[in-house]
Amino acid sequence: MLTEEKNINVEEQVVAYCKDNIINQDIKHPLYPARLGAYELFRAHGLPTTRNEQWKYTNISSKLERIPSQSDVKPVPVNLDNFINNFEIVKKAKENKDSVLVFMDGAMQSQLSIVNTDTKTVSVTSLKKDPIPDWAVKLNSEKHSQNVNEMFNLNTALMEDGAIININNNKGIADNIYIIHVGNNDGFYNYRHMINVQNGAHVNIIEFKISNKVDIEALYTSSIIWQIGNNCVVNNVKYQAHNQITIGFNQQYADIANDTEFNSFTISSGSKLLREFRDINCNGSNSNISISGINLLDGDSHIDTMLSVKHKAPNTISREKYKSILNDNSKGVFQGNIIVDDIAQKTIAKQSIDALILSKNAEHDAKPELEIYADDVQCGHGATTGQISQDSLFYLKSRGIPEEEAKRLLVHAFLTDALEEIKDKKILETFADVMNNMLNRVSKGNLNV
Amino acid sequence: MFNISNLTVSVEDNEILNNFSLDVGPGEVHAIMGPNGSGKSTLAHVCAGKEDYTVLNGEINLNGEDLLDLEADERSTKGLFLAFQYPIEIPGVTTLTFLKSSLEAHYKANNKEVLSTPDFMKLVKKKSAELNIDDSMIKRPLNVGFSGGEKKRNEILQMALLDPEICILDETDSGLDIDALRLVAEGVNNLRNEKRSFIVITHYQRLLDYIKPDFVHIMYNGKIIETGDSSLALELEKSGYNNYIK
Repeated sequence: MLTEEKNINVEEQVVAYCKDNIINQDIKHPLYPARLGAYELFRAHGLPTTRNEQWKYTNISSKLERIPSQSDVKPVPVNLDNFINNFEIVKKAKENKDSVLVFMDGAMQSQLSIVNTDTKTVSVTSLKKDPIPDWAVKLNSEKHSQNVNEMFNLNTALMEDGAIININNNKGIADNIYIIHVGNNDGFYNYRHMINVQNGAHVNIIEFKISNKVDIEALYTSSIIWQIGNNCVVNNVKYQAHNQITIGFNQQYADIANDTEFNSFTISSGSKLLREFRDINCNGSNSNISISGINLLDGDSHIDTMLSVKHKAPNTISREKYKSILNDNSKGVFQGNIIVDDIAQKTIAKQSIDALILSKNAEHDAKPELEIYADDVQCGHGATTGQISQDSLFYLKSRGIPEEEAKRLLVHAFLTDALEEIKDKKILETFADVMNNMLNRVSKGNLNV
Repeated sequence: MFNISNLTVSVEDNEILNNFSLDVGPGEVHAIMGPNGSGKSTLAHVCAGKEDYTVLNGEINLNGEDLLDLEADERSTKGLFLAFQYPIEIPGVTTLTFLKSSLEAHYKANNKEVLSTPDFMKLVKKKSAELNIDDSMIKRPLNVGFSGGEKKRNEILQMALLDPEICILDETDSGLDIDALRLVAEGVNNLRNEKRSFIVITHYQRLLDYIKPDFVHIMYNGKIIETGDSSLALELEKSGYNNYIK
């Protein structure tokens, strides 16, 4: 018996949308071959269903009913600059003369973006408006040619804009780049960032994705492709707080060379459906990576994290630490796959997935997997799902701490060791206000940030 | 001052407290002893406001106010303190953060100005030194990895900071070696005054050598069946409960 009927209508809509898009593309554009190939692959396979093991717990059809209608012209609101500047994170970034790249509905807003040119080590171009550097064409084509991920293919076929960022060796003085994305209009948006971190470069990239209004119906696909060289330090924090009707499919790919540290942390909340696909390759030896995050779900939110970490060289370390808090009728899904190749001796890989359930109807499905082909490794995984301990709550209350504050302390305690994976303490401080705000809402039973 | 009258409490249809009554005057120390399963810990938890119990009848009054309608945190800020038999370990919350949240909640509830952080630190350092608690302990996660003695001293530290009117000590002597017992008892004795009262629940007379009670009660089947002075504890130590629970 089939567990899921495909929603043929929405799939036809998406394929037709892709077709229209391809027809309008310049066939001489360097990304055209990848677009066309990806479109053909997507048309052949369609939207993924729960029969696909990687989508077993996420039924797209039950969440995605149609492509949201959109107007051709999407005026930038006059107050967008003010809206963005209201965020403490942006204020601080501008004060520190960090680079701030502003996107609205997937399109780069050059007039609002600032690239710090003082350091002479960062260059940023727009995928839509500027010539595509050779490295980006090559990287794009490599990722596309080997890809079976339907939503990545859809993103390749449809990508409209994105930031193409190159960071040269900055001799240990980290460049800070903020990518602010505001969802402002109903519609279907597709964007792709490509980031080339050259040998010896240090960079902090902070992504901040928010819906401007609660009633914007957005569907989007996004991809971020990292190419990271030798001896780099990369800290990446992504904070995404969508409204409850946004549907998003995020793909992250990273290839990491030798002696590099890569810490990537995601804080997600809201969304009708959010898919976080992360595919990380430790291609070089002596690298140390952390792929971690926090998910806060309430209402009917559904967040699905699909993580694959591949150790392809000896002496690499990976940690995946995820914490989820679920309320109301929300659903969290985590599939984490660690693959250790036969040559990847001395790999250390640790994965932990913990969920704190605050309501009767919330659900969390965790599926950790290890595939180990080397014999001298330390690998482990663990998954827990539980509720706030009533004994702990009573203990705190018995000392006069009101229930809301007691829950706040316990939720914070639950999240603490995941937050420690944000290795750059300045970034962690940057998020202090956001985290406090978030915890206050959690303790009041409202997770929507 | 603290009065429990005709308290009947059940858990899943089992009656644990049965028409229990006890009057505690200002500055008095009442010891409650009794065989296992007589309802002593239930009494402590019900007084403090734990939610797993059904109160079928009775009242718990502190200074004339019925506590039964109040949440656990409100009972605490009104002046009731329960020292836990098994203090709860909470990873991720440092003892210091916990103490600060707790003290601030008390000050706010009683419309007192909240201490500045330096003043709070001074107060904590002073009170911890009196209980031989070093700085490193209060910086660690709450009760995590604490020895039995450290956990109980931490309870007494909280008691000292929160300045309660009625303290219920639920088997505070369990799991303590002789030196730790003396230290904890001294901590309690230092807090005794003409206003503050104590209910000391214990299995062993030994604790009462250090904390001298004004009254000793024997609790059995959810109520007090015998009341005496400290000699009653000595008598029990010698001959057990058999003479009383026939």
